[in-house]
Amino acid sequence: MSEWWDYGLADLLLFSPRVYYRLFETMNSTWWLVVASAVIAGLIASGLALRHGFRGNRVILVLLALVWAWCGYGFLWQYYQPINWAIPYLLPGFALQVVLFAIFAARPLPLRFGWRGDLSSYVGLTLVAFALIAYPFIGLIEGRDLLQAELFGSAADPTALGTLGFVLLSRGTWRWVLLPVPLIWCVISAGTLWVMDQQVAMVMLAAVWITVFCGWLDLKNGVTTKRLTEAEIRDPAA
Amino acid sequence: MSDLDRRKFLKSAGAIAALGGLGVLGAGTNRPAFAQSSTKSDLPDIIQKTIPSTGETIPAVGLGSWITFNVGNDMELRDQCADVMSAFFKAGGRMIDSSPMYGSAQDVIGYGLDALGAHDKVFSTDKVWTSGDGADQIAETSDRWKVEQFDLLQVHNLLGINDNLPLLFRMKDAGQLRYVGVTTSHGRRTDDLMAVMKNERLDFVQVTYNPVDRKVEEYLLPLAYDRGIAVIVNRPFRGGSLTERLEGQPLPEFARELEVKSWAQLILKYLIAHPAVTCPIPATTKPAHAAENMAAATGPLPDDKMREQIAAVIGVLV
Repeated sequence: MSEWWDYGLADLLLFSPRVYYRLFETMNSTWWLVVASAVIAGLIASGLALRHGFRGNRVILVLLALVWAWCGYGFLWQYYQPINWAIPYLLPGFALQVVLFAIFAARPLPLRFGWRGDLSSYVGLTLVAFALIAYPFIGLIEGRDLLQAELFGSAADPTALGTLGFVLLSRGTWRWVLLPVPLIWCVISAGTLWVMDQQVAMVMLAAVWITVFCGWLDLKNGVTTKRLTEAEIRDPAA
Repeated sequence: MSDLDRRKFLKSAGAIAALGGLGVLGAGTNRPAFAQSSTKSDLPDIIQKTIPSTGETIPAVGLGSWITFNVGNDMELRDQCADVMSAFFKAGGRMIDSSPMYGSAQDVIGYGLDALGAHDKVFSTDKVWTSGDGADQIAETSDRWKVEQFDLLQVHNLLGINDNLPLLFRMKDAGQLRYVGVTTSHGRRTDDLMAVMKNERLDFVQVTYNPVDRKVEEYLLPLAYDRGIAVIVNRPFRGGSLTERLEGQPLPEFARELEVKSWAQLILKYLIAHPAVTCPIPATTKPAHAAENMAAATGPLPDDKMREQIAAVIGVLV
C-alpha cells in the first residue's frame, strides 16, 4: 500500500546536527594523523594540478583515489553508516570513484591537469581552494568547534566539492565519467543539510549547477572532446 | 463511521469529560474516567490509560526515539540517552517506541536497557519497516533491543502491509507478540489506515496529532474509539518545532488550573485528555525534559472546552 516514494525529504532525516557534527569531532580526534595526511594529499594534488606543464597527472589521480578510498571507508563506513541506513547503498559509488581514478591513472594517456585560463579553470580552482581551505572553517560561522571541522580527504562533502574542481581543471575525452559520483553526493548531501537547516546546503547545490554548466561549456568548446596526443603528454605546455 | 456513530462518540467523549470533572477540580478540568492511579508506591501518581483490546493499562505518556536516539557508536551520547531513559523510568514511564528506520536508535535503546537493568520496566514498542522479509527484520530488531519478545509491533507507514500485518497476527497467535498495530505520520495515508482499522482487528494505531495537526480528530480518532483500538500519538511537538516556536511565550492564564509548567506539558495534557488517545510519545535528548513530559501525566486534564482554548491559543502563536 505504502511505497518508498511516499516519503518526503524531512521523513528521511534520522539524526540531529549535533550528532552529525560530532562524527567529525570523533573522527578528527581519533584518526588525526590520517586526516592530516589526507589534507596534505589534497594540497599536493592541487599544487600539481596548477603547475603549468608539470607531468604529475598520474600522481594527482592516485592521490584522489586514495582520499576517496579513505573517505569511503573511514568516514562513511566507520562513522556515518551507523546513523544513516542509506550509506551502504551509496558506498559502491565511492568504490566506483576509486576504481575510476585508478583506471585513469593507469591509462597510457591519463587525464592532463593544468590551468587553461577559461571559466572552467577559474571555477575549478575556486572549488578546490574552497574545499581545501574555506570549508573547514564554515562551522565556526555557525558556532561549531574547530575540532568538528570537515576536512578535504576525510569528510565527504569537501572531498566531493574539491573533486569537482579537480575534474574541471583537467582535460581528456572521458573526464566526464569522474563527475556523476561527486555530483550525486553533493545533491544528496545538500538535501540532508537543507532539512537540518544548514545554509551550506546552498553551496553544495551551487557547486553542482556551476560544474554541470562548465562541463557543458567545455564540451561545446571542444576542451574535453579533443584527444590528447603523445606529444601533448610529453610537452604539456604545447 | 456514520454520522450517527460520530455523534455518539462526541457525546460519550463529552460525558467522560463531564464525569471526571465532578466537584474536585476547577471549572474546565477533569480527571477522566479512564485515569487510574499507579499501584506502585515508589512511582509518581501517573495517569494510566487502558488498552481497549485487553484492558491492560499503561502510563499515559511514552518516549519516542526518532532522531534523538540515533547517536551511532558515540559512547558519550549513548550514555546521555541512557540518562534520558533513566529519568523516564524514574518518573513512571514505560512505553518506548522505535523503528528499523531510525538508524542506531534500536541499538541505543538496547544499550540503555542493559545499562539500567530495565528490561522488566519497558513496554517495548517497535515496527516492521520493509518490503522484504519482515521476520528477518523483526529478529534483527529483537537482537538490537536485546529483548526476546516485543509488547507491540507495528507495520511502519503501512509499508508492505499485505505481508507484514499477517506476519504480526501470526506472531500474536503463536504467543510471540502481545499487540499488533499500524502506523502513519505527518497525516499521510489516513484513508488507507482507516480502511485497515475497519477491516482488521488491530490493537494499536499510531498517528500524528497535536494542537496544530488535528485532522485525525475528525474521523480517525472516533473510529479508533469506536473499534476499541488504542492510539499512540507521534510528533506531539511537531519534531520539536512546535515547542521551539512557543518558547518564551507566557502560558495562558487558564493553564494554571492544569498545574502545567511548560508548553510541552500543556500540549501533552491536550492530547492525553482526548478519550481516544492512549499514549503520546514525545522524544527528547534531555533527562529533565523526559521527567517534565511524564509529569504531564499527573494532575488535572482539560475538558473539551479548554482543549479548544489550548488549540486556539497555540494556533495563534505558531
